[in-house]
Amino acid sequence: MANFHPETDLLTEYSAGSLPLAQAACISVHIQHCEHCQQLSNQLSEVGAALFDNLQPQAVGDELLNSVLARLDEEVPLSYAKPEGDGSSTPAILQRLISGDFSDLSWKKLGSALRISYIRTGDPKHEFALYHIKAGGRIPEHTHRGTEMTLVLEGGFSDADGTYHKGDFIFRRPEDVHAPTAVQSEDCICLAVLDAPLKFTGWKFRWMNPFLRLKAA
Amino acid sequence: MRLVAETTDNDLDNAANDSPVKGARRTDEWSECITLIARNEDRAAFTRLFRHFAPLMKAFAHSGSTLSANHADELVQEVMLKVWQKAGAFDPSKAAASTWVYTIARNCRTDLYRRLNKFDTSLTAEDMGYEDETEETFLLLHQQRNRERIKALLGDLPNEQSQILVKVYMEGKSHSEVSAELDIPLGTVKSRVRLAIQKLQIQIER
Repeated sequence: MANFHPETDLLTEYSAGSLPLAQAACISVHIQHCEHCQQLSNQLSEVGAALFDNLQPQAVGDELLNSVLARLDEEVPLSYAKPEGDGSSTPAILQRLISGDFSDLSWKKLGSALRISYIRTGDPKHEFALYHIKAGGRIPEHTHRGTEMTLVLEGGFSDADGTYHKGDFIFRRPEDVHAPTAVQSEDCICLAVLDAPLKFTGWKFRWMNPFLRLKAA
Repeated sequence: MRLVAETTDNDLDNAANDSPVKGARRTDEWSECITLIARNEDRAAFTRLFRHFAPLMKAFAHSGSTLSANHADELVQEVMLKVWQKAGAFDPSKAAASTWVYTIARNCRTDLYRRLNKFDTSLTAEDMGYEDETEETFLLLHQQRNRERIKALLGDLPNEQSQILVKVYMEGKSHSEVSAELDIPLGTVKSRVRLAIQKLQIQIER
């Protein structure tokens, strides 16, 4: 059961369908298993439904009705099949984006404790990546040039603001500085969605900053 | 289940009697149409549903958007076709017909936007949804009450708050897009959204 959730304004954008693709995907992984946010999101969808009901109707001609009636016998596209969890621990939406499980991905080593795997979502403005931090490993202190969504998929990590476990969702804004450290007991896997590259603040890694690029697509 | 049905009817009666909540009765009519489609592939029921919802969808498609008339028509067709194809998945004990139809329209519009912007993705807006597994009677009952309450309170929101909700929900804009368009700080947009949500008394039931 998650203890850290998206704030109401993010859930509102999620429920309105106005979040960018990669961010919506990240929230949907959290919400899939979070009854708390499902209940909120149900109500937030009712806001949309009420606004929809209040719209000023615009005349629709009979031609349109007739062309829909003529299409009713079409085969239902197969793609309507829901992404079903197959019992593995990989969330359904990630299964759609990767083949196999996390160990089949190509991981890029960054320092001794961190490996990153970039995943293509089709969102041109957001980087969508899995972070694997070794048990007890520390990510160098960094700040953000943009926003960062983080969702804990396995294990846990902590920073100055708290300790996060499986299912927890954390949202960082520009200028928030932190140095996440994985829990001692097990490796941590997180999903992170960025709209601008990180910026390392410690002297040891600062030289990398000019080379950091957002790997969006 | 029976308990839900009875109480729901009562609620609808109350709503119709003591408050001007419009659509309480009507909602039932649309649920019936969807059920008839699922059960008998009833084209007459579909036509009734179309005449009510298609004009709303067209308005939705045109809300502050850049969709051409052709694309708006395409959206209406696509949504109504999905309503027909997915009618079997509609569960009147869980969702009001108009909420269900709105959700399909919202997802189709998001996907249409992404297609028009040449997004190369395997994910659809529907994939981003969740399986609502609420079965508990008291929660379903709350959902029904929430729906009526939100509808009733929406009209009381100050203009500066409802304006933003319309942009976010009907025009599909993110908070930062709204902030840029209205030329007000992002923080102000977010706090107005939060205030509005508070006034609509949206919170977790325990």
